Amino acid sequence: MLTARGKVPLVTRQMLVFFALLFSYPLWASAVGLYDYIGVEIAIWIIYALGYNLLLGYTGLPSFGHGAFLGIGAYAYGLSQLDLSGGVWIGLLLAVCAATAAAGLVACFLSHRRGIYFALMTIAFGQIFWFVAIKWHGVTGGEDGLLNVLRPELGLGVASISLKSNTTLYYFAAALLAVIVVILWRVLHSPFGAAIQAIRMNETRARFLGYRVWLIKWSVFTLSGAFAGLAGGLFCLTQESAYPDVMSLHASGFVVMMTLIGGGFVSFWGPVVGVIVFFLARDLLGSVTEAWLLWYGLLFMAVMLFEPEGVAGAWGRIAARLGSQKVAAPAAGKEAST
Amino acid sequence: MSLFTAEHLHKRFGDQVVLEDVSLAFESGAVSGIMGPNGAGKSTCFNVLTGLHRPDRGRVTFDGEDITGLAPDEIARRGVSRSFQIMTLFDEFTALENILVALPEVRRGLGRPFWQPRADAEAIEEAREVLAQVGLEGRAGTPAAALPYGERRALEIAVALAARPRIVFLDEPTQGLGTEGRARLSALIRELRHRYTLVIIEHDMGFLFGLADRISVIHWGQVIAEGTPGALRAKDRVRAAGPGRTP
Amino acid sequence: MDFISGLLPHILNGLALGLLFALIALGFTLIVSVMEVINLAHGSLFALGAYVALLVISPDLSALGPLGEAYAALPLGARYAIALVIAPLAVAVVGFGLEVCLRRTYGKKKEYGLLLTFGAALVIEEAIRLTWGPAEQVLPTPEAVTGAFLAGDMIYSKYRVFAAVFGLCAIGLVWLFLDKTPYGAIIKAGAHDSEMVRALGINLSRLQLLVFGFGAALAGIAGIILAPIWGLRPHVGVDAVIPAFLIIVLGGIGSFWGAVAGGLLVGLAVGITGAYATDWSILSMYLLLILVLSVRARGLFGKKTVLET
Repeated sequence: MLTARGKVPLVTRQMLVFFALLFSYPLWASAVGLYDYIGVEIAIWIIYALGYNLLLGYTGLPSFGHGAFLGIGAYAYGLSQLDLSGGVWIGLLLAVCAATAAAGLVACFLSHRRGIYFALMTIAFGQIFWFVAIKWHGVTGGEDGLLNVLRPELGLGVASISLKSNTTLYYFAAALLAVIVVILWRVLHSPFGAAIQAIRMNETRARFLGYRVWLIKWSVFTLSGAFAGLAGGLFCLTQESAYPDVMSLHASGFVVMMTLIGGGFVSFWGPVVGVIVFFLARDLLGSVTEAWLLWYGLLFMAVMLFEPEGVAGAWGRIAARLGSQKVAAPAAGKEAST
Repeated sequence: MSLFTAEHLHKRFGDQVVLEDVSLAFESGAVSGIMGPNGAGKSTCFNVLTGLHRPDRGRVTFDGEDITGLAPDEIARRGVSRSFQIMTLFDEFTALENILVALPEVRRGLGRPFWQPRADAEAIEEAREVLAQVGLEGRAGTPAAALPYGERRALEIAVALAARPRIVFLDEPTQGLGTEGRARLSALIRELRHRYTLVIIEHDMGFLFGLADRISVIHWGQVIAEGTPGALRAKDRVRAAGPGRTP
Repeated sequence: MDFISGLLPHILNGLALGLLFALIALGFTLIVSVMEVINLAHGSLFALGAYVALLVISPDLSALGPLGEAYAALPLGARYAIALVIAPLAVAVVGFGLEVCLRRTYGKKKEYGLLLTFGAALVIEEAIRLTWGPAEQVLPTPEAVTGAFLAGDMIYSKYRVFAAVFGLCAIGLVWLFLDKTPYGAIIKAGAHDSEMVRALGINLSRLQLLVFGFGAALAGIAGIILAPIWGLRPHVGVDAVIPAFLIIVLGGIGSFWGAVAGGLLVGLAVGITGAYATDWSILSMYLLLILVLSVRARGLFGKKTVLET
């Protein structure tokens, strides 16, 4: 069940728990051996993965070139700082705009495609952007990328805050993430959210019910590109650089892995879990072996083989089993399906 | 003038002619039947009428307007609704959600991020009424995939009705149903005929003869007979074309 | 130097590249047609083929004593020929393993199979990096196909000619196999309708296993031939798999001649643009793809298939 049934509040109980963990993170991070910087990375990639899951989990469109939009966001932000020195907000705005525009353009070519053709076309487009990023030295700095994108002060109207410290940066990223979670939750429970899920389950029927399927697919692709752009802007802000690596096929595949390993097909929170698993695996496995990707890849294959609905799917099943044990005695039979 | 007409439709796939000079007219408020053996071109005919395929030649009109070659969603938005021979439901949605997503308000509300159709009393009320029409009022909270076959068939029709259509095309609604299911469906359509304009594809003559006001018989892509069930019964040609089953 | 003859070497390069691309794409399209799986590990299998060949051609056999010395004393050509047989077989075995894993995802969401192969791609690539190290390596080639020759007033690389001829022969053999043998007929039937194959009493699982292995072996062969042209890095698979994707989409999924025509088109586009703008030559294939797909939605030879649902 991807969206809740019945009326949902603007901020749910699960969200409150998540926000509590999110904003208290710097207080307990070091106690469990973590640090603020990985928190920033995780927050950024959660924004990216949640936006991506609009496409994959909700609409059922597997894009393998989404890294392009993250990268475009990163470059747009970086260029705005280097050439315009426009400040954080303008930079992020430009990042979102650039990624949205690119995604909107790509979506024009993709929105009438399905299945394998869709997946292969997204790979092709992703590669184009990646390739241009490497070759267009004058603008992107080639393979090295844009360097020395210094973190400016964050203007908040009355005051401005330095983002030099990773802790401040973390709170900024976390605040943006919280806003994104609320926005996405709202979108998914609106008619638009119902429509994209309807398209995933049965595109033909949706079309014959009068839905402009092409336009809806275009919108959702573009929208998820916008989220990737925001994440990209934050990425550049954090890394103080933008480079083509994040646009490669592998990097694009990572967001798909994160989304699925957490259970993006069955839960709103799947991508959140998946991103955390990925970064913890990188740090934990990475501290043991150089070839952490080998082990992470094996882990991922095992998940696809034995628990393809990911962490959320396993959790759902365990919860259902525990629940059914509690009520099993009196009401056997049909109730389980409701 | 007829609510929905097809004039001289031709359609071929490759070198196979599937529709040849097919003309049909469906009256407002009536139940029309399209009959013929499997592979006679009935489904293609529906697909051309509802916009899935564009006819090679000919014209389709709805309410006096030419809708030939329009996209399926465009035709649907004008008030033409259909069900499918192969079940096309939103399987992970509950029965109620299947209906909700078919409501015109929900479709028109795509730009309203703060409206929650699943919590809107009016929308839910209407959706429940639609479910009640097909006898699924007790199944509102069941995912479509978990419904038994006969109820899925009923939901398939209900989704088409939820769009508040001015004409409903039902493509082989008895597909896969047993004698009992057929009888129940027959009773259901008898109820619905007071509220909707219906066009039904069927290869079972007995089923249509008891329901339709007018029947067109299609064979080899052509309309070979037309008339009221009574008039058709008299003709021998129907017997030659139809499988001649009786319930 | 006039225009056409100046272009000829680039056309030859393009042809060689295109034929090898086509070979990769053929394996890819066979797998897609029979198993309905996009094999994202295809590029890694390509790289694996080249690395195994490297191992076979110049192995460290000091532990084997005289036997090892005897092998090392064989002429390079002989060892190369042995590698051309053993390496694809090794890749096929890895393919078998992957297919056995994939089996669990059949009948579930298509994304699961796709993602499983992506995981496999990571694993194979990392395993290569771990075994052979991250540095670029050189795959030795026999004397007979090394160096250059002069024709007219242009210099041609012998190896490119060899690669083109080899690619042509390999594609021809695949065609003969698919079109003229009963096995080929079964594979084509499996691609068309797996239920029918089962109804004919053919063991579908075994067919899928063999087709996957065969497709993987084709990637492996292409890897061996392309390695001296591209150099050998653990990451080289991506350079191979991307053109293969494009070619499949360009030619139409599931079409033999589509893959061949697509491969040649892409190879020629890359080769000829290479004459004018070396840096941007790869971009030409993307532009070609977008161009073709704007005109023909399912590629040159594509038909509407179940793969789109």
